[in-house]
Amino acid sequence: MAYSILEHPADLGIEARGNTLREAFEEAAVGLTSVIVDLDNVGVMIDRILTVEARDVESLLVRWLSELLYLYDGEGFLCKEVHIQQFSPARMEAKVRGEWYAEGKHHTKLDVKAITYHQLEIKEDPSGGSVRVYLDI
Amino acid sequence: MAKYQKIDDYRYLIPKSYRTGMLTEGLIYANEDLMRQIEKDLTFDQVANVATLPGLVGRSLAMPDAHQGYGFAIGGVAAADLETGVVSAGGVGFDINCGVRLLASPLLVEEVRPKLDALLNQLFRDIPCGTGRSGLVELNSAELDRVLNDGVRWSVESGYGTPSDLEHIEENGCLKNADASLVSRRAKERGKKQLGTLGSGNHFLEVQRVAEIFDEEVAKAFGLFMDKIVVLIHTGSRGLGHQVCTDYLEVMQEGMRRYGISIVDRQLACVPIRSREGQDYLKAMAAAANYAFTNRQLITHWTRKAFERVLGRGELQLVYDVAHNIAKVEEHKVSGTTRKVLVHRKGATRAFPRMRPEIPKDYFEVGQPVLIPGSMGTCSYVLVGTEKAMEETFGSTCHGAGRAKSRHAAKKEISAEQLVKDLKNRGILVKGASKSGLTEENPNAYKDVSQVVDVVHNAGISKKVAKLIPLGVIKG
Repeated sequence: MAYSILEHPADLGIEARGNTLREAFEEAAVGLTSVIVDLDNVGVMIDRILTVEARDVESLLVRWLSELLYLYDGEGFLCKEVHIQQFSPARMEAKVRGEWYAEGKHHTKLDVKAITYHQLEIKEDPSGGSVRVYLDI
Repeated sequence: MAKYQKIDDYRYLIPKSYRTGMLTEGLIYANEDLMRQIEKDLTFDQVANVATLPGLVGRSLAMPDAHQGYGFAIGGVAAADLETGVVSAGGVGFDINCGVRLLASPLLVEEVRPKLDALLNQLFRDIPCGTGRSGLVELNSAELDRVLNDGVRWSVESGYGTPSDLEHIEENGCLKNADASLVSRRAKERGKKQLGTLGSGNHFLEVQRVAEIFDEEVAKAFGLFMDKIVVLIHTGSRGLGHQVCTDYLEVMQEGMRRYGISIVDRQLACVPIRSREGQDYLKAMAAAANYAFTNRQLITHWTRKAFERVLGRGELQLVYDVAHNIAKVEEHKVSGTTRKVLVHRKGATRAFPRMRPEIPKDYFEVGQPVLIPGSMGTCSYVLVGTEKAMEETFGSTCHGAGRAKSRHAAKKEISAEQLVKDLKNRGILVKGASKSGLTEENPNAYKDVSQVVDVVHNAGISKKVAKLIPLGVIKG
């Protein structure tokens, strides 16, 4: 697992790592789902293509995770697998796989209110990429 | 150099020298013990950061329950000049109009105690709570727009309350500048299935008894009497409000470039109050606030039904309903002149004194009720607003206990089974939607609410009226 959950006095954060920044963004997305629901019971029945644009890479990360949070809280879609097909600091396109939330089948853990810019950190060097983002719970 | 100066036993000043760019001072209300807790996280830095925002009137304030938040500290109060000041979505927070409502029943403890288990089961069945639960009413888009524009008036017209309920809600349950058309489709999607749900996190419904009266006259005016049963409801605007904040943080980041505003923390994104973006945010925020008032109204309706069914007495009087995450234009006296300012309250409660026009006529002679929920299963307080709050804090006071430990640390301390058992030994029954929800909210994770309330009482920015002790807790 290439993401971990961070402590915060009131809420929590996700730290995700990968061989590239693109991979770290993929891991952060799965990390977000793992905060909301027990991943073990989530199937991969549906594919969706998502496009996110932003002015800078920090904003891209917040918008990307906000997109996934909306898909869950607004439409009931749980994302389990992520493949980012195109990635630049200003635009990304991803194929996500998952299924619709079903009361009873899925074991929810926490309601995430929002993705924040608080102590947001994005790093990339030849050894790999990493992101840190805090969630309002 | 010390990073703050003690002014007196309840006031600590953060001077402008604390960090570069501070345009005003910071002021924290606390005692020494609470200061030691507040010092452990980023609260000081965040109070100082807020003091760098343009156009602030007076100081950047923090209440004794303050803890680290996002951009603003939770427990923060900041007022901005309407012409030169800014509005910050982070200054209200993600849970727009998270707030508290108190209902008073005609029943005594001994009448309820024998049927408490049945009552809690009924409440737990009738009020959706916890993660992943939909509400019992699904609204079409025209109805949702009415909720957003009209607030609790919609609920009363739809049979979820009485016209007299409206009198006892801050702003009569409707911020009039609300405009549903400025709330995104996404926010509406998140909100349309969640109206009338408690949610999770620190939100709860408690059946409590009036355990102590500090001010007989005011308590009587509020309809609070010793050993009578009351119900406290703590929840907010759910996914709809969270999405409105998320949306407008992005709008404000773009706007800042246009207006040439630079800030020290992106989460403090802000735009001039007079700008189109600023006005749009305030109208969308008002709509989300109306949704939150309505959310608490629907939960009130089902609470009354549950009392009716189990105890045969459903006539619960609405004592009051207060917002603790909000920004409002209010008249305040600043350096001797009365003027309008925009008051951001992020985890802080309005606490207006008697004779203010905003106060319901039933309380006009005594002052506005201030409702302070404690952590789960401890105790809560009813306070009353004071003239001193008008002089010092833009008519604001604390909002709760304030978190002291992380969720992870709280969870490690105690198992859900042990927690339920401990509370039961103290005569408190708990129904929780999830085990982790219970342990993460264990009372030890919070500051001592009695200490917090003593500070605001002794500092004079509100006065103690009654103490409430829970008998039963419904937890998300």
